[in-house]
Amino acid sequence: MSRQFIAALLLGSALMSGACATTAKGASVSALQKDYAAQTYVGEAPLGTTLAVVRYPAFVDPDARDAYYNAFGTQAIGGSGKQAASQERDGLADSLILKSNYFALSLYKELAAKLPEHSVLLSPHTIKLDADGKLTSVPMTQAESLPNVVTVDFAAYTYPDVTKMMGKEPLTFGDLVTPLITVKTDHRAAAPTQGVLLSSAPLMARTAGNAREAIEESMQAMQAGRLTTDPRPLDFVTFLKTGRALNVAQKSLSDRGNSHAVRAYPVEKVKLNASTLTALTSAKPAGATTADIDPLAAVFSRPMANQIVGEINRADTGKAAMAGRAGAISQFDESLAALTLVGSDDPSYLARLKYAERLLDAQKNYLSVQSLRLFDGVHNGEMGAQVRDMLKAEYNVLEKRRDLARKQNTATALAILGAIGTGVAIANSGGSGGSDCGNARSQREYNDCIRRERQRQQRDAQVNRIAIDALIAGTVYAAQTAYGSSQLSKKIGVSYLTSVAPALEEQISVQVNLIDSSETITAIRFEGLTEKLRALYSKNQRSLSVAATSCAYAHTGSSKTGTWLGECNGGFGEGSGVGILQNADGSAVEYYGYARGGQPAGPGYMITHTPTGSTALEGNFNAGRADGPMRVYAGGKSAALRTYSAGSDVGSAAGQRVASPFATRPVSVAAQSVLN
Amino acid sequence: MRSFKTVLLTAAALMTPAAFAQTNSAERAQVAAYSGQDYCITVMGTFPNEGTEARYQFYKLVQDMGRDAGPDFQAAINTYGENKPQADTPLLDVIDVIANPVIRQAAPEIVVSNMGHLIEFADRCAPYVDGQILSLSAFDASLTDGDTVIAEDALYLRQILSESLDRLGINDHPLHGPHARAYARSLVTTRNAVEYAAFESEIDELESLFMSDLDGRLARSNDIINEESNREILGDAVTLANDINDDAEEKQKQRDIETLFRILGGR
Repeated sequence: MSRQFIAALLLGSALMSGACATTAKGASVSALQKDYAAQTYVGEAPLGTTLAVVRYPAFVDPDARDAYYNAFGTQAIGGSGKQAASQERDGLADSLILKSNYFALSLYKELAAKLPEHSVLLSPHTIKLDADGKLTSVPMTQAESLPNVVTVDFAAYTYPDVTKMMGKEPLTFGDLVTPLITVKTDHRAAAPTQGVLLSSAPLMARTAGNAREAIEESMQAMQAGRLTTDPRPLDFVTFLKTGRALNVAQKSLSDRGNSHAVRAYPVEKVKLNASTLTALTSAKPAGATTADIDPLAAVFSRPMANQIVGEINRADTGKAAMAGRAGAISQFDESLAALTLVGSDDPSYLARLKYAERLLDAQKNYLSVQSLRLFDGVHNGEMGAQVRDMLKAEYNVLEKRRDLARKQNTATALAILGAIGTGVAIANSGGSGGSDCGNARSQREYNDCIRRERQRQQRDAQVNRIAIDALIAGTVYAAQTAYGSSQLSKKIGVSYLTSVAPALEEQISVQVNLIDSSETITAIRFEGLTEKLRALYSKNQRSLSVAATSCAYAHTGSSKTGTWLGECNGGFGEGSGVGILQNADGSAVEYYGYARGGQPAGPGYMITHTPTGSTALEGNFNAGRADGPMRVYAGGKSAALRTYSAGSDVGSAAGQRVASPFATRPVSVAAQSVLN
Repeated sequence: MRSFKTVLLTAAALMTPAAFAQTNSAERAQVAAYSGQDYCITVMGTFPNEGTEARYQFYKLVQDMGRDAGPDFQAAINTYGENKPQADTPLLDVIDVIANPVIRQAAPEIVVSNMGHLIEFADRCAPYVDGQILSLSAFDASLTDGDTVIAEDALYLRQILSESLDRLGINDHPLHGPHARAYARSLVTTRNAVEYAAFESEIDELESLFMSDLDGRLARSNDIINEESNREILGDAVTLANDINDDAEEKQKQRDIETLFRILGGR
């Protein structure tokens, strides 16, 4: 065996037995915190409208567990390969639910602190199977039944392979949290991105696809004369089930310009502050509890809440909430509901609207009590204390594994150094370096020289062999130690997850009990409140000079006839309202504004959907066509002012005033001025 | 009308002459600068004086009755009114005349002049009336609880004025007709506002009742569920995991020693 081969073999074995281990590092400063000033809410939401709803996975229906675990193992983020069924994989999937439950409350708390009272609601979801046996999720409360400006989906993600916990893969364990987040508004306020404003990069296409399906459901409902639709499943669930994907223009997280593109939030493993985690175990002053400590607040929740407030400030709240408000009003007053989409300055309309909006405000305030109590029950109760206990235990496990990883790395380094040293020694052993006997002056002198040289070489070889043996032994031991540390580290991770599995189930079950009980109580009382509100509204019913009905809507260039909800005359849209038309080729048009003879006429806002994306036009329409200065909304671009003539773009309209059907917005403010 | 009567009966029970002896000196100093001081003090002397509630109700009522009656409309009232009351006519008598259905039918011009008397006072003595309302409500904030009822009463009396003027033919008058119609329109706006205030008051009450009920129920439910939750399960699990890990660590150490021994012994 050649000397070089022995050296290479040793080096290889050292590397193989104990490759360098990572110590599960995370980002101590989130990308959300970089280069972003503190945001203060500057707007005024229409009455009865929530500003943000925080949605998160809270429970997995027993029938959907296998499908969820499999999808979790298959649709992995931040790594490659699929994870087959195992107790550890399922434990990580359960842990995702538990942590999402807990950390979503941190985001809720921070958002509620930055926005007006009663304007943020919690919407926990149950993951279940739909009628086709595919994964979906449904809200456990009625928080999504009210008009809203932004919807925030949150999940605390972990890569589904327990052996990768110490690697670069996403992890939510101990002092590490990998948030997955999407922020959406109604598509009417951001048509080119389907309403998606910000999204974790891996979820973006599915989130846009999910939003697109919501648009199609909304249009189908309106064509059937309804203004309400069921809430859509969580974006994370549509990602897991590989739901519909749609490409939308995207931009970097730091780009807060006006272009219509989704801000991409990179997947990042956020490192919680070690001192806050340590504080969970240290003695507290009298009256203080661990509930006062939120390890996620500083590194994620607060900066994320700041980002969300920025998005709300930039959003067109009127367009964002108009469909939700019309749907919510329809439960009290069908004749009024569709008219609220565009609004009116008619005093009878404004008077009636003000009453209806006050009802929604009462419902909103009422549901916010439920969210506050959910937060209190889960975060401040025994349940929250258990999660914090778990965080501490996980942190200890992670620290132990980090310690082992450091030992492994030291041992690996030693093994590599040893292997290199051994190789050098082998290479040098038996080398020349002896005396030059060629200089002997006689045969005898030469023979003596050769004998002495052989004796010296024998001694050197003996010493070298001992040294090489010691080096080999040291290298093998170091490599063995590195390998052992690596195996022990994995074992610690697995044994923790295996042992803690029953506790995970218990904790999720307690959380669900809290949510279920809260929803049961709230739903019964909410129904009672709604009945009382309905009675009060009927008692105070004001006359309405024009009532909304359903009739025909036509669109130039389409052979089909759509539906108009709003003012009608002679079976066609005449006045304000909304027109919906779906073409056979998959394209569709939504039109909010004024119509004559069933066609757009006057100020209007038209959204056109094609299979690949959506665009919008706002301005004046004549006989169904854009005519005059228009505001054009398209993906990847800022809103542009263009002049249209008979439906065609004929040049710039810079500096010109654009007509808007929403000139009476915000309606609440207009109503206030009329009635007071 | 029932609420109006309630106000009147409450006020009447508390009514005594010489109303303003208790007005504090600072207020008086402000008032002294007012040119119609004697007139205002004379009329105010006919207001109820016993009890803050009655005083507040009457000042608020007069203030509300004086709304939307500008100089042009007051000129119209002076044209159509007859037998205007004196400044020292007791306030309750003035209101009684306005609310009396017989007088309303038989002599609308008297109703008009009595309303004119109140409107003139509310207009000329606005600083006094505002001051009284502010100081009384500052003294007892709960006095404002009845504002909606008072607003409804004032609106009722204003409608009587509008109807009386209509019966006297003011709408046909080329000069005063438009002012009378503007006044009638303002009554519709005020009616809307008053009705909404009543609706909001009811909804506030309902909302508050339901919210505190829900809050209490949810808090109790949370307590029960949290008490039932078994925190020991997690502790046991963590202890078990630690034991397994400690054992594995111990075995690993043992293996390391054995490996080292084997390597050394293997020589």
